Amino acid sequence: MPHAPDEGSRAKGASPPSAETFENQVLSLVPSLRRYSRSLAKSDSDGEDLLQDCVEKVLVRRSQWRGINLRAWAFTIMTNLYRDRHRRFNQHPTVELDETLGLTAEDMSGDPLEKTRLQQALNALTPDFRAVLMLVVVEGYAYQDVADLLSIPIGTVMSRLSRARRQMAAQLAEDNIVTLRRPK
Amino acid sequence: MTNEHTPVTEADLHAYVDGLLDDDRRREVERWLQDHPQETAEVQQWQAQAKDLKAAFSGYARSGENDRALLNSKAQAGMQTPYWRRVGLLAASLLLFLSGAVAGVYTDRSYSVPTALETASALESLPGQSRTAFLVYASEKRHPVEVGADDETHLITWLGKRLDYKLVAPDLRAQGFSLVGGRLVPVNGMAGAMLMYQDASGQRLTVLLGKNPENGETSFRFESAGSVETFYWIDGDIGYAVTGEVTRAKLQAIAEECYRQFES
Repeated sequence: MPHAPDEGSRAKGASPPSAETFENQVLSLVPSLRRYSRSLAKSDSDGEDLLQDCVEKVLVRRSQWRGINLRAWAFTIMTNLYRDRHRRFNQHPTVELDETLGLTAEDMSGDPLEKTRLQQALNALTPDFRAVLMLVVVEGYAYQDVADLLSIPIGTVMSRLSRARRQMAAQLAEDNIVTLRRPK
Repeated sequence: MTNEHTPVTEADLHAYVDGLLDDDRRREVERWLQDHPQETAEVQQWQAQAKDLKAAFSGYARSGENDRALLNSKAQAGMQTPYWRRVGLLAASLLLFLSGAVAGVYTDRSYSVPTALETASALESLPGQSRTAFLVYASEKRHPVEVGADDETHLITWLGKRLDYKLVAPDLRAQGFSLVGGRLVPVNGMAGAMLMYQDASGQRLTVLLGKNPENGETSFRFESAGSVETFYWIDGDIGYAVTGEVTRAKLQAIAEECYRQFES
């Protein structure tokens, strides 16, 4: 089925994409960008801020896009923004107000205590470890794709993934809290 | 079988967890795992972790009402504003952002930050608050409670009204504890209730109830500090904690009995 909005411009050929086409492509990526930004962030509002910054940067830099795999390109931009923000916020820790926030707005059916612990374990990861873990686990990228996306060797992807998983597991196991079955 | 030719590496185990192996290799790894319980345990941890992470974030992959508006306004700013103005705008928005962060006004995007902050502190401090209440009041000789068990109906109505909750005082006589009474206590900065029980030897335990700003449901949790044990859980908009200086098994039985009687 053809998409309605931009028949006219699309017929003219491959390059360069018209503004409308490009924006529609970005728009269709927003849900997955939102998930990635939230998985890197410390809170919902932090995630939305990161998403906004990323969308803005993608649009500003559109001329640098080489016309293949917009999603991966946007994810690279997001990851770099996330690292920059992390560095900046660490230099100005006043903005860390919401560091202890759990995962709050979504999926109310889950266990809020468990979500808080998960969020805290994630916040304890370095940005490099966290980005790799999220790209693999939540976004479903293959290891070589992660390596390309972050411009690092695949061996580095594997070692970051391994260390992220072990650190998470250790921190989640460390708690002196025992989960018990509820009576029914 | 000649699996020795392709030894299973840690990279294989990660790829197994992430579903990145082809069928043949996956079966080889599965066979190998059967003889390696330690690695199997680790792989299971990673699998559980992956499942939790996916569940935590999958809900965010959605469109928002303002996505297009955001896109359009940013696109215009990026394409048509001269460089020097962009720098100015950036400085202005940074200033706005910083003052906004200080004043706490950056809260209108998708949920309210103060509520979430309350939630976080509520989750973290419920067992701590329960322990404090126990330590302060259970050792009181003359005034451990404000309203005694002889006036139970009044106690329950009063505290229930302050909590906005259909309170009952759980009957723990089968566990050997009878109601001493209760008092109004602050929990998470709001009105909460504490009920106190005592066994034949004078051993006491307390049950704390507080408003939980976020609706939710948790499993039972356990925390110990010295000889003081606390079980706590959240059910709907109420958080519960049972604290006492009794064995963990005994306190668990009591907590489960409370849970059963506190219908939400």
